[in-house]
Amino acid sequence: MATREIISTGNDLSAIAAVDAGCTFFGGYPLTPSSEVMHTISDLLPKVGGTSIQMEDEIAGICCVIGASMSGVRALTATSGPGMSLKAENLGLAQMAEVPLVCVNVMRGGPSTGLPTRVSQGDIKQASNPSHGDYRSITLCAGTLAECYTEVVRAFNLADRFMQPVIVLTDETLGHMHGKAMLPTVEEVKAGIVPRKEFTGDPKDYHPYECGPTEPAVLNPMFKGYRYHFTGLHHDKNGFPTEEIETCRKLIQRLEDKVVVHQNEIELNEEFMCDDLTGEDGEVLIIAYGSVSLAAKEAIRHLRKDGIKAGLFRPITIWPSPAKRIKHFTDKIKNVLCVELNIRQYTEEIERASSRLDLEGLYKVNGRAISPHEIVAKVKEVF
Amino acid sequence: MARTLMRFTGVGGQGVLLAGEIFAAAKIKTGGHGLKTATYTSQVRGGATVVDITLDDEEIYYPYANDGEISFMLSVAQVSYNSFKNGVQPGGTIVIEPNLVTATEEDRKTWNIIEIPIITIAKEEVGNVITQSVVALAIANNMTSAIDKDTLREVMLSKVPKKVHELNLKAYELGYKYSEEHK
Repeated sequence: MATREIISTGNDLSAIAAVDAGCTFFGGYPLTPSSEVMHTISDLLPKVGGTSIQMEDEIAGICCVIGASMSGVRALTATSGPGMSLKAENLGLAQMAEVPLVCVNVMRGGPSTGLPTRVSQGDIKQASNPSHGDYRSITLCAGTLAECYTEVVRAFNLADRFMQPVIVLTDETLGHMHGKAMLPTVEEVKAGIVPRKEFTGDPKDYHPYECGPTEPAVLNPMFKGYRYHFTGLHHDKNGFPTEEIETCRKLIQRLEDKVVVHQNEIELNEEFMCDDLTGEDGEVLIIAYGSVSLAAKEAIRHLRKDGIKAGLFRPITIWPSPAKRIKHFTDKIKNVLCVELNIRQYTEEIERASSRLDLEGLYKVNGRAISPHEIVAKVKEVF
Repeated sequence: MARTLMRFTGVGGQGVLLAGEIFAAAKIKTGGHGLKTATYTSQVRGGATVVDITLDDEEIYYPYANDGEISFMLSVAQVSYNSFKNGVQPGGTIVIEPNLVTATEEDRKTWNIIEIPIITIAKEEVGNVITQSVVALAIANNMTSAIDKDTLREVMLSKVPKKVHELNLKAYELGYKYSEEHK
């Protein structure tokens, strides 16, 4: 893979990634600590013929992104926790109507307005089902500066493949930290873009929601003669509201199955220093994601110097969760420590996946990062 | 080189962020790794701001300076000085702006406290208060020898607008001059 070096912040990299991935529309409302995503993309998009618009609030931000996407372009919105709460209803609409978009959430302390300038991972559970109703969220979680770029690129590709919103979680630490990132070249990113599926037959034969039981809808760009009805209600093959029993059942089952059946296309993990973990006594597995994994990696360096064999399992695709891979590790390794900047939000998923209730945890919810030393101390205390 | 941990503290609006970015970029330029993180409060101006700078030849994962491991801190606001001084290891160096920060006798026993009127230098000798971050940059580099002087100067110039190159060069040299006697 050809690479290039960029010195930047996570938020700027997320904005640059969107433009490189072919995004030509941004709609949103600036919110700490995500604002720089909007500042930067509003500089970049006009230069490539795109549009960036600051709306009156976060709700209008995602609404115009849904509209832009329906006209066939790649579209982005970015916000933080309070903005996610506002966008939730329309994330549900985009799930139901199968409109692809990318939503970056630079996490800060919550609930409500919480700690605007401080780091948190409090939106993990929210990301799995931001709105009411049944569907499968696809949520990616960047854990390095470079991933603030690569995960946004991947999110656009997944959104178009599965025709639904994809959430990219970063956090205040990653969004604002400034350093070196090794990135794929723009050419490589462009080469990886698979255009959204389009129906090219007679417009009379166009039925966007008539698709295989595990496949997404095919929404042609508007204004090209292919007509469909757009609604948040349960709908038929042309998008018109219906309460017909089998149509309703099949629709919601398909929203579930189009993601679950193809999880192998979505799942991505990092296994850091896990190769030599064999399941012997005393080995330690840390499970962490996002910026906390940076502290975990430093901690593992220290632990190994002290003779404790430790490794990190890091989900990059958070939802759907890598349940089988988690089970693989938690079956093998007895000492498992979950580290999160929330209270057990992902630990409960790890407990489900592992069928274990004896996992240790280190959690923090005061807006401060978890340090490598705290992780080392916890490992030495509990194992 | 072992890991260098520096902390710049001030209040929101003083512009201490830029110095951190210049340090990180200069270290990366020389083939190493550099990270800058900033922590600030939700107050628009006047809240305690802290910038952590981590420089290393090896890859850096965790971007914050661990309290107790910082060898150099520079502070231009009392509120920030009070909040963050304890992160500096005993015997470490703390540069303070004496017009804005007062250190206690106890502090002077714990750390090597150096008084340099950074803001006065920027305002009166350079002629523009905004250059305080470059004065601070030069002081920090002179005290820690983190980066080659010429390399850092070059990176600094690449980060400021051309029309203020002269002004910032002056600020850079004055930072070196005022810190020289304290080395």
